[in-house]
Amino acid sequence: MVCGFMKGFCEVVMGQEYGSSSKGEFRAVVSSNRQIGISFYRLTLEFSGAGAEAFDGFGPGQFVQLDVSGAALPPVERIPDELADAARREILLRRPFSFTDVTREGDKTVADLLYCVVGPATLRMTTFKAGDSVSVVGPLGNGFSVPEGKKKAFLVFGGMGTAPMQHLAKVLAWDEKERDIEVVAFAGAKSVHALPFEGRMDEISQQLGFSIREFAKYTIESMVATDDGSSGFHGPVTDCFLEWLKENKPSVEEAIIYSCGPEAMLGKVAEIAKERNIDCQVSLERRMACGIGVCQSCAVECRVEGSSETVYKMCCEDGPVFDAREVVF
Amino acid sequence: MNEGIDISVEFGGLRLGNPVFTASGTSGYADELGEFMDMDRLGGFITKSITAKPRKGNATPRIVETDAGMLNAIGLANIGVERFVEEKLPILGKMKAAVFVNVAGETIEEYLTVVERLANEERIAGFELNISCPNVEKGGITFGTDPELVKEISSAVKNACGAKMLMVKLTPSVTDISVIARAAVEAGADALSLINTFTAMVIDIKTQRPVLANRTGGLSGPAIKPIAVYLVNKVYKEVAKERGIPILGMGGIRTASDAVEFIIAGASAVAVGTASFIEPGCAARIIEGIRKYCVEHNISNIKELVGSVSQ
Ligand SMILES: Cc1cc2nc3c(=O)[nH]c(=O)nc-3n(C[C@H](O)[C@H](O)[C@H](O)COP(=O)(O)OP(=O)(O)OC[C@H]3O[C@@H](n4cnc5c(N)ncnc54)[C@H](O)[C@@H]3O)c2cc1C
Ligand SMILES: Cc1cc2nc3c(=O)[nH]c(=O)nc-3n(C[C@H](O)[C@H](O)[C@H](O)COP(=O)(O)O)c2cc1C
Ligand code: FES
Repeated sequence: MVCGFMKGFCEVVMGQEYGSSSKGEFRAVVSSNRQIGISFYRLTLEFSGAGAEAFDGFGPGQFVQLDVSGAALPPVERIPDELADAARREILLRRPFSFTDVTREGDKTVADLLYCVVGPATLRMTTFKAGDSVSVVGPLGNGFSVPEGKKKAFLVFGGMGTAPMQHLAKVLAWDEKERDIEVVAFAGAKSVHALPFEGRMDEISQQLGFSIREFAKYTIESMVATDDGSSGFHGPVTDCFLEWLKENKPSVEEAIIYSCGPEAMLGKVAEIAKERNIDCQVSLERRMACGIGVCQSCAVECRVEGSSETVYKMCCEDGPVFDAREVVF
Repeated sequence: MNEGIDISVEFGGLRLGNPVFTASGTSGYADELGEFMDMDRLGGFITKSITAKPRKGNATPRIVETDAGMLNAIGLANIGVERFVEEKLPILGKMKAAVFVNVAGETIEEYLTVVERLANEERIAGFELNISCPNVEKGGITFGTDPELVKEISSAVKNACGAKMLMVKLTPSVTDISVIARAAVEAGADALSLINTFTAMVIDIKTQRPVLANRTGGLSGPAIKPIAVYLVNKVYKEVAKERGIPILGMGGIRTASDAVEFIIAGASAVAVGTASFIEPGCAARIIEGIRKYCVEHNISNIKELVGSVSQ
């Protein structure tokens, strides 16, 4: 079961071009769509046939483009006030999402998607129900990779940045047995209500522990940070991570940081990594039209080695995961 | 089922297997959409705008979605003509579709550099001139909004492009598009393509700033379709028909019905733009749909349809 889905990841590890040969437009069937917090939902999609094959190799950090234009709006009374105007907008373009989990089940591939309701498309997604059919373009982009010799991986993320991190956690946990990689997760959000995890998050201590179920199930310890102190560490997740680094002083060569979340947070993480000379991969978000490298809308300003010039790379095709040293924040 | 139905068209001396192109800037340099459809099924292919030198393009955000449309301000990001020849032409050379290279620049000189570099390339059928660019020598006025400039640039390019076909792409952001169309045709354009995007703006009311880094962008997608159909019909009636100049119609096409509507308005062929972002294999589906329409309506030659809208 795990083998199939590890196939893709191993290809990433070996630095091979990954995913591009199998991308396409596929139909998925919704098997569930559960609300897990005030504005968070977990959508489970099932692929069969060619879709099952294509997504079997989906690596953590890759993404898909969903067509939500045909989905209905929820009834008026279920539309939050702050989205009342946005709900009137028509949807034209697909929307990019990562997967939080991908599993092969017999001849099907099942993928979980974690989403936050922020606008017209994600609002419509809340009405997806079991049996609905959704058009998915993917697998897209380049995911995370594990360079040789890494023994300690830090996952530092904010808000919805948790989505690909849960998938990465699963893969690293599997890899741990093979290569003995220890993983620690640092999750940040504005407040306890903005933590997109299941279970009670308001009684979490300031210590490393197994308080986030989504990581605990892979025996990965985690630490929670909220800007207002309503859960875990009081302050930005980057401060929390920094304190931990100071106390624990991991070996730099053996460590790697993986990060996903708001751009300001990623910039801070990149700085922390650079100062300590720790390898760091960041997953970026850009507004995307095509997601497949044809429209050039998702530009990311990148440094060119040995030059003061910068170039634009495409988030959808060259990323969304980039080496932090490369990105101009 | 309708595979055998002939929907080939004559387009300014070229014989195309069918009247469907992919539009400039929405289908990459060459075979990028190849994973989603068989590129050889296309009637024509138009590259993204190529300039004399590589261009980085604008800062982000470069796009924003609007109701039934989107704005883009990519800023003509492209690899420049030299790398284009080296890396992309070989791929284009293998394609069955008629290949047009879309050319852009900020001075007439820059347009000519690109056209002269490619004029003897067997692998391309012709050029599509993007004249929706600001002319830096004339204070940034858009080439395509001034009939004199349109004449000047069209005839300069016509002289440089040898036996290749010259298609001039019109911007709709003008008072009378027929004046511009006439200028292009009088200067030697073999075909006209229309429309390019409409200059537009979206403001973020929280920050009171334009959403796009470039402030303005071009509106495309279904939102512009009825205006595009009107403009194609206008140019067909007032300029193209009597002179026998074919029109490549575009603007918001996402179905075969849309495509047929443009043909009835006066287009000899159509191009699919924004719709490829949502359904990358869209053009292939449209080709099939046109076949089906022809069978159902007993049309043996697409020519019968071109400009057939009642007067
Ligand atoms: C590679 C990638 C992976 C993603 N993975 C996930 C995920 O797993 N779960 C999840 O909930 N969301 C994810 N997102 C973000 C998600 O695509 C957007 O939240 C969604 O498109 C919003 O659509 P909407 O119509 O509901 O809201 P919109 O009205 O489109 O957007 C709401 C607000 O978010 C901003 N916004 C929208 N899209 C972007 C973007 N791409 N970059 C920066 N700002 C943006 C808009 O400016 C607006 O203010 C991902 C984005 C990318 C690029
Ligand atoms: C993202 C994007 C990039 C474009 N780039 C170009 C370009 O480089 N050159 C050009 O002549 N037209 C360009 N266009 C315009 C299209 O070719 C087409 O004329 C226009 O979008 C209308 O068609 P549509 O509504 O089907 O997209 C671009 C359009 C979009 C949406
Ligand atoms: S979204 Fe179109 S190139 Fe990246």
